[in-house]
Formats: sequence, C-alpha cells, structure tokens
Amino acid sequence: MRKPSRLDLLQGTLDLLILRTLQSADAMHGWAISERIRQVSENVLQANQGSLYPALHRLEHQGWIKAEWGISELGRRARFYRLTAPGRKQLQQEADDWTRVAGAIGKVLELA
Amino acid sequence: MTLSDLFLRLRALMFRARVEEELEDEVEFHLAMAHRKHLEAGHSEEDAARLARLDFGRVGSVKEDCRGVRGIDIFETALQDIRYALRSFWRNPGFVLTVAGTIALGLGLNLALFTLFNAYVLRPISIRDPYSLYGFTWTDRQGAGHAFSWAEYKQFEKDNLAFSEVAAVQYIYTRIDGHAFQGQLVTGNYFQMLGVTSELGRPLLPEDASAPGREAVLVLSYQAWQSTFGGRADIIGMKLMVRGFPMEVVGVARKGFQDISEVPRDFWAPVTMADRLQDGSDLFGVEHPERLEIVGRLRRGQSVSGAKAILTAWSQRITAQLPEDHKAAGILLRSKATSIPLTPELLIVFSPLVIAFTLVLVLACTNVASMMLARAVARQREIGIRLSLGALRRRLIRQLLTESILLSIPAAILGFIISRVTIDASIRVMFATVPKDMLELIHDVPRPVDWRVIAFMVFATLASALLFGLAPAFQATRANVISSVRGEVTSDLRPVRARNALVIAQVTVCTLLLVACGVLVRTTMAMSAFDIGFRTNNVIAMEVAANSRRQVLDALASDPEVDTIAAASAIPLNGAVRTMTIRADDGPAISTAYNEVSPEYFGILGIPILRGRNFTKQESASETPVAILSAGAAQSLFAGRDAVGQIFHLSGKPARDVRVIGVAADIVTCCIPWGKDPALIYLPTTSATSAAVLVHVRGEVEAVRHRLDTRLAELAPGAIGDIHSLDQYRAAGMYAFRAASMIGAALGGLALFLTLTGIYGVLSYFVTQRTKEIGIRVALGATTRTVVGLVLTQSLRLTAIGIGLGVGLALGVSRLIASNLVFMRGFDVAPFAAGVLLVAFSALAAGYVPSRRAARIDPIQTLRYD
Repeated sequence: MRKPSRLDLLQGTLDLLILRTLQSADAMHGWAISERIRQVSENVLQANQGSLYPALHRLEHQGWIKAEWGISELGRRARFYRLTAPGRKQLQQEADDWTRVAGAIGKVLELA
Repeated sequence: MTLSDLFLRLRALMFRARVEEELEDEVEFHLAMAHRKHLEAGHSEEDAARLARLDFGRVGSVKEDCRGVRGIDIFETALQDIRYALRSFWRNPGFVLTVAGTIALGLGLNLALFTLFNAYVLRPISIRDPYSLYGFTWTDRQGAGHAFSWAEYKQFEKDNLAFSEVAAVQYIYTRIDGHAFQGQLVTGNYFQMLGVTSELGRPLLPEDASAPGREAVLVLSYQAWQSTFGGRADIIGMKLMVRGFPMEVVGVARKGFQDISEVPRDFWAPVTMADRLQDGSDLFGVEHPERLEIVGRLRRGQSVSGAKAILTAWSQRITAQLPEDHKAAGILLRSKATSIPLTPELLIVFSPLVIAFTLVLVLACTNVASMMLARAVARQREIGIRLSLGALRRRLIRQLLTESILLSIPAAILGFIISRVTIDASIRVMFATVPKDMLELIHDVPRPVDWRVIAFMVFATLASALLFGLAPAFQATRANVISSVRGEVTSDLRPVRARNALVIAQVTVCTLLLVACGVLVRTTMAMSAFDIGFRTNNVIAMEVAANSRRQVLDALASDPEVDTIAAASAIPLNGAVRTMTIRADDGPAISTAYNEVSPEYFGILGIPILRGRNFTKQESASETPVAILSAGAAQSLFAGRDAVGQIFHLSGKPARDVRVIGVAADIVTCCIPWGKDPALIYLPTTSATSAAVLVHVRGEVEAVRHRLDTRLAELAPGAIGDIHSLDQYRAAGMYAFRAASMIGAALGGLALFLTLTGIYGVLSYFVTQRTKEIGIRVALGATTRTVVGLVLTQSLRLTAIGIGLGVGLALGVSRLIASNLVFMRGFDVAPFAAGVLLVAFSALAAGYVPSRRAARIDPIQTLRYD
C-alpha cells in the first residue's frame, strides 16, 4: 500500500536501536528514546527524529513493545514504551544477526 | 498479523478520534521537550521552536506514516468516498434510477436463470449424506449405458465392491384416478440407505421386498399426497390401483423428499412387485430382462477414481463371456447428490443459454458504462481541478469505482425482485403454453434462495459494477490537467472513442442475439410445418396393460365413436423408438428402427404403401417372418433393386430370415427434431399382443379421449397407461423448441431495447457536445437536412460496423448449432435479413430524436456561449 521511503531503508536498524534502548530501561517516552540514541551514538544518529514515531508504532503493532500513558519527569502527560517478552526475544535474534553480518562485513573489508 | 496488531487496528478503527488525538499529543510532547532543550542551550524562543521542528522533520508526513502503520486508511478513504458518492447521487436521483434499473434487468434475468440452475444442478437432494451417493452402470462400445437384470444386480450386491450399500430402482408409470403417477420400484433397503423417514405411516422396509410378489404396498410422496389426495389423514391403508393391481398405501414420505431422479416421483413400491405391475417378461424369470438401475453409497474413504477402477474391472469380468456388442467397454459413475449431475455434457448443453443471458447483462453494463462516461466527461472539470490540486489518479479511480459499487447495490435489490417475478412469470407462462397432456407430468421443484444464490448475486453484482465502472473511471481520470481546468473538455476525444466502441459492441451483441433468435424461430416454424409423413388428426394412442387387453379391445370395438383399431409396439412421436441390426445377404449390416404393427396401422395414419402390399390379417396373427420396409430402409439395404421379395437377416431374439413384402413411405417415428427415420422396418403383430393401441375416432378428439379414458378406467381400473391424441404427442415433441423460441424472443427484445436506449444516449450526448459546432454550421447556412444527416450518419456508421461483426459471429454460431440439428442445416437468409433490418431500423429510430434536437439548435443562442 505505502510507497517505500527512506524510513523503510533504515527501518531494520532503527527497530534494533529502539529495542536495544528499551532493554536497558523500564519504560521510556519517544523523546527520551531519541535523546538516548543520539547520546549513545555520539550524535551520529540524530537527524529526522520524527521517523522514530512510525517505527515505534510499527513495533507496537508487532507486539514487541507496549505503550501506555504516564506522567513524564516534568509533569506532562507522555506516552511511555516498554519492551515485551516477544520483543526481548526479537531483540536477541536481531542483535545476533547484526553481529554476524557486521563481523562478516568487517572481515571482507579487512581482506580487500 | 499478530493479536496485538489486530487489537490496535480495531481500536484505531473504532476510536478514530481518540487515537488521532493521542498521536497529536505524542508529537506535541516531543516538540515541547526539544523546544525546551534548545532553550536551555541558549537559543532564543523563536530559534528553539524552529530548531525543534527542523530536527523532527515534516510533522505532517510523520503523522501520515504513523496512520499508515495502523493500516486502516483504506476504510477511512472508503468512508469518505461513500459519503461523497451519496451526496452526488442525492443531487441526481434520475441518474441513479436509470443505472439501477438497467443493471437490475440484466442481473435479474441472470439471477433467475441461476436460481433454476441451482435448484436442479447445485442444490443437494434432501437425503442423508447426498455427496456419497452414486449411480453406476457400465457402457457398451457405443457408449450406451446398461440396464441391469435382477441376477446381475444380485451378483453386484454380493461382490460388494466399492459401495457400502447398494439399491436397485426401476421407473414405473401409471395413472391413479386419472392422474399421472410416476413412481419408482425400489429394493427394500432404499429408504434406509437414503435415510428418508415418513411423514405419515412408515417408509418401505426390507421385509416389504423379501421375495418376488411381495408386498403389495406403496409409499406416496408428500406432494402427491397433498395434491392428489388433499392431504387426507385416512390415506394409510387405502388401496390404490396401480396398473390394474391393488396396492395398499402404508406411508407418506417426509416432506421435501421427491426421490433422487431428475424428475420428482410420486410413489415408491417394492421392486419385488415388478412382475405384477409390468407386462412382458418376469424380472425374476429365466429371461433375465434388463431393467434395473443401480445406486449406492461409496464406502467411507473410497476415492471416486479408485471406485471407477474397481468397477471397470468387475464389469469387464462379468461381461467377458458375452458377445462383443454386449461387453462392457467402460463404466459411468454419476453423483446423485443433485437432481441433475454437474457434468461437462450438461455444461455444453446449457452454455448457449448462459451465453445469451450473460450477453444481455453485458449489454446492460455497456449502456451504463456509456452513461457513466458521459457523466465523467461532464465532471471533467471537477476531476481536473482535483488532479491539479495533487489528488492521486488511483485515488480518484477508487472513488469512481466506489460510486459504481454503490450504484450496484440498489441494482442488486431490484434485480433480485425482478428475478423472482421472472421465475414466477415464466412458470405461469409455461403452465399456460405447455401441451395440455404434458401438464400432469410437470412437477414444480423447490427453488430456494440459499447461500449459493446469494453468493451468485453478490458476485454478479460486483462483476457488473467493475464492468460498467472500470473503463469510465480510467477514462475520466486521464484528463489533461490544464485544459480541463479551463473547461476545454471537448478537445479530448478519447471518451467519445470509448463510447463509440461501446455502441459498436452493443450493436454486435444485439445483432447476434436477434439473428440467433431468428434462426431458432425459423427452425421451430420449419418443424411445425414439417411433413412428418402421416396424419395425426383424430387418432388416439394408448398403452394397455396385458392382463386387461382383451376387455379394453372389446370395449373399443363396440364403441360407437371408434372407427378403426390398430396396434403398434411403439407410439409414433412418443420420443422413443427401438432399434435392431439387420443385414441383406450381400449388403452391409445396418442399424434400423423398428415397429411391430397391425395392418390397420398404415390406414389409420395414412402412410402410403409405395410398392408391394400390406400385411394380411393372417400374417399379423401368426407373426409370419415378413416385413414392410420404409423407403429409406429399402434404399440402404437394397439400393438399385426392387426390395419387394428380397430376404434379409434379422439378428434379434430369435434371429431369423425375413421376406420383404412391401415398401412404405418414410415417416418420423421417434422425434420431430431428428427428422424422418433414415431406416425403419415394420414387422407384423396384432392388437391382442401389442403394448400400444391406436384408434381412429369420429367427433371431437379431446372429448372422445376423455370419455374413453373415464369409461375404460371404470371397466378395467389401472389398465390404461398413457392415453393421448397424436396431436398432443406432436405438440409435446415441439414444446422444447417453442419454449426456446419464447425465451429467445424475450431476450432478443430486451437486447434490442437496451441497444436502442444505448444508441439514443450516445447520440444525445454527441449532439450536446457538438452544439457549438452545429450552431456554427447552421449559422453558415447548413439546412435542417444536413444537420439531421450529420447525426444520423454518425449513428449508422457505428451501427454498420456492429451489424457486420454481429452477422459474422452469428454465422459462426449457427454453423456450430447446425451440425447438431437436422432442421438447421443449410443457410437460411431470412433470420439474418430480419435481424439486420431490425437493428438498422432501430438505430435510425434511436438517432431520430437527437437529430431533430440538433436541427432545432438556434445559432444565436449557441454562439452567445463564448
């Protein structure tokens, strides 16, 4: 239905990053996730923060994360996301895949 | 799709506003946080807000992507489209009514046809597990099915092949109190096998058919009980005379069960009564007559192909000792789940009807497509504006298709009503036009509106919505954005071309239908006028049971209105004729029809003896081995010689040499559509031994028939089987063709009407569209004649192309049909000429009104437009 966009190209990576970020916290809202990814990646991944939200919603639809409304640290109503059990499993698998691919690419680059 | 996905989608669908609000809040929160962060970093209020938005990207497209994740945008846009379409329909109810009415006509007819098809072919018979029930027979080299003898059936039952249960059945016909009764002689396990219970009394039980001659009982069908006996409660225990033999009614089968044959049955009796109820050789006697059909339930888990293999092997083993002609060459295993099994042959027979009906629906759809195109062109400006504002083309197409589907909903409802009315009307017409004596054989079967009918309606409705909506939708959205916004729609000629193509298609289909209908009518007329070779007037034919024959013949001989009595083994035009193989000494063996007749037969029917002489009384009585050949038979056996005095060999039971004593003129013995018998031989017999008696009567034949029937029924109850005038036999044989002609004429008329309105619509549009041009022409001095000519030429040009195509198709079709029917051989110019003239004239008529309107165009008025 939808036409592919830049978002989709990054989707796999972004999903992994979100899941990984949520793994180390109890529940986070979108802004916090975005800030966290920016900090950890040392500002490499920061453009187009908006694209985070479709990704979050997609993960929610897949049942890997769960959303609920809560009050943010500054007293505003915010939507908090937390990792579910299937999400944890998914993260494990995707992380493994990623490591394997990254390792392989690394080796190829060394050879070349 | 996971559970959480489903849940979230449903939530998004049901609480659309709330979900939307949440998205809004979430984005808002993010922007607020980013804003605060930039403020803290020392940016001004204005810069902070700008930077927050910059980091975020396009808010609108992010939201759109989030909505896309929900995957319910299809519904949302559909809702919008529906609201939009309904608003535009509201403004234009005339358009909606015309579209719905046109489509409903086509839909209704097809739905009516399908309802009937469903009732006979698709709806399972109301018995236990109908889909495991199969009829079995083996076939000979000619592919003809085999009727089983009692011994063969017992063998089959004993060998217990692929079936878990088997039963044998035989058709029986009788008349009870003057009503035709069609029954089934069945083995005792029949009702148990089918799982049919009784409404009243009991069903037939195995004990009823335990030995030949037992028990004289029968079970009535619910319908027969209601219609013939008024549903009287004391029916149980009553004695009915079946072919002159008293049988006790022990039960009434449960409502809705009318046997598993093609035609509903009125009663069932034990097959062990066959000998009492039937003339000729004893079913259980030494002659082993072959009369039974076998039906059975396939064993659970037994595949049909496996069963076929087993049964083929069995049939070949059983028939291995028989002469080549009687050996089993193949088998037939036919599902008995529905009244008429769904076979390729059936579909072939049924296909012309289906094609004709579908074509009418297609015609209706093209009419509507043409209207939709006109409407789309009128809306070109609106569509152009929407396109230029960035609407996607497929979005517009979807919206236009939504309109089509919405339009088809009232069409479906109206179509359903039309289908019910059509079925009722055609059944009424059938009862009104069917030959009187056929009436009592016609049973109305239930025609429920079940899920199959509903599914067909939905499918046909959607298909026609696509058919009439797709082309206009694509066509209309092709608009050139700039010119259409300026209002220059006429410069784009594509819709005109599409509409012209539609008109050509309509004329083609209409010509095809009309010519086909003409061929049918001509054929029927040719058959009615066909010289069948004998006189039918004032002749009554009857079937007489052997045990009362003497009594009946005496009564007939003394009847003041009966002139002559003749005997025949086959009543002419009765739709059946027996054949045998004969061979002249040196000639080839030929298969020929035969009839055993008394000398009076030729006189009563006025069949001239061309050469030689008639049988003598003596030859009849002693059944001397002499024969009269038909001219056709004489020609094929003894070409170029005088047949009289020749000897031929007859390989029947018993095989014998027969001397030819005469040659009679050719006649139609079996059925009028097949024409005169290519070969027929007459063998001598007397009325004392013959199954059928023909009498020539004085006075009004129907009155005499009725009087004879009543009188003979009193004298020898149940002795008379069928008793009809030969005129009735002739009418009955013609009825299928008359009915087909009527259906054809109705379809042809409807097609003509649709085409007429179609052409009218297109030409009206043509005139409206070219008002300016015509105005200028008139201003420059064009006469009324030139203007009318302009419009009519347009009409005739399209019609001519369509007629050409239609005639070509009709030629192909009639050649295809001609190969199957004697009466359609050879090219008959009349239906083609009539069809072409009718279509051409209608096209002119349809073009006349728009052309007059064009001629009245006032140049001053039109030129003021710009």
